[in-house]
Amino acid sequence: MPTIEELNGLAKAVAQAGDREAFAALFKHFAPRVKAYLMRSGTAEGLAEELTQEAMVSVWRKAAMFDADRASVSTWIFTIARNLRVDHFRHQGREPVGAEDLDCDAIASTTPSPDEQMAIWQRETGMRDALRQLSEEQAEVLRLSFFEDQPHAQIARELGIPLGTVKSRVRLAVNHLRRLLDAPEP
Amino acid sequence: MILHHPDDDLLLAHAAGSLLNGHSLLVATHVEGCAHCRERLRVLEVAGGALLESLAPEVLQAEALAKTLAAIDAPEPSRAKSMPRPPLRAGTLPSPPDGFAWPLAMRGCIATRWRWLGPGMRWSRVTLPWDDSANVFLLRIGAGKMLPQHTHSESELTQVLYGTFHDGRALFGPGDFDETDGTIRHQPTVLAAGECICLASVQGKVLFDGVVARALGSLVGM
Repeated sequence: MPTIEELNGLAKAVAQAGDREAFAALFKHFAPRVKAYLMRSGTAEGLAEELTQEAMVSVWRKAAMFDADRASVSTWIFTIARNLRVDHFRHQGREPVGAEDLDCDAIASTTPSPDEQMAIWQRETGMRDALRQLSEEQAEVLRLSFFEDQPHAQIARELGIPLGTVKSRVRLAVNHLRRLLDAPEP
Repeated sequence: MILHHPDDDLLLAHAAGSLLNGHSLLVATHVEGCAHCRERLRVLEVAGGALLESLAPEVLQAEALAKTLAAIDAPEPSRAKSMPRPPLRAGTLPSPPDGFAWPLAMRGCIATRWRWLGPGMRWSRVTLPWDDSANVFLLRIGAGKMLPQHTHSESELTQVLYGTFHDGRALFGPGDFDETDGTIRHQPTVLAAGECICLASVQGKVLFDGVVARALGSLVGM
């Protein structure tokens, strides 16, 4: 598994030099996962394949807008794939709205300070560990929220628990995640 | 100072892209004006990225990369989708108060002219051209006026765009966000200092208490 730094380096090479080998490496890593994401959230295989390729074309075209100082490439590609899925299923092919791609410029045009950069990287690198430290129950409700395209009411039906329980479980999971990120030591 | 923010479960659904369009617009409007929630949303998007990485890869078509590279070389299609969205189409909407700007998240929406809802109370239907079924509207309530007491069959999200109201639970000022459901029965009252403009998205129905208010609510389709 390539590291966050390696993946971000590939994205930089695509942005700055139109490096096709770097793009192929990003493709090899992310395209099969984007397809898995789309299929998990209810997209039929043929369409998932098509949307995955479309997402990767967006990665190429938008690479210049990706700011490796502010996010990891996996966070960025997640937002691209999510928005593509939302546009396809909820906007019936019309103008998209709401969630934007992770647009770093919109948040700040200046380079983050070393402190900010440190905080951003702690969050990006700490997230994987933090997710592993969640209880199975909390991890499950997060996975279902992200990948099953289920509003919480549907998750409640699926797990056979009241809607209020899903909501409080989600809040507990997110709180726990935040605490783990603030204090990364186990 | 923004005091009321969307809950984590709502923000997570937004990060996951699973909110219906009306509610998604409301959360986007809040996040746009709230640095705290942009940060909270970013943490959840980082979680989404990390979870994406943890998925077992699917097998792609043998020629998937070649096809993608060919698409990259093809001229970019000039679909409506890639065009910048027009601003809020509010040509018929009387101009907002001085120093007020419509949220960017409302780009592409169409708002009707202000319609009479009661003394000192006006509303405007907001249409999302990408989703006819979204029930979104603006409320413009005069200083000191109060909405009829009501509750909600499912869920209502409200973002304060201008001015301040109190609903017996708390004070809501510019940038504040509120989520209400059937457990909350309230009567929002605008402070005497000036008028208040809110954006709202309703799933289900707004249920007014009085007969007259109920008739009015069903008339305007809230």
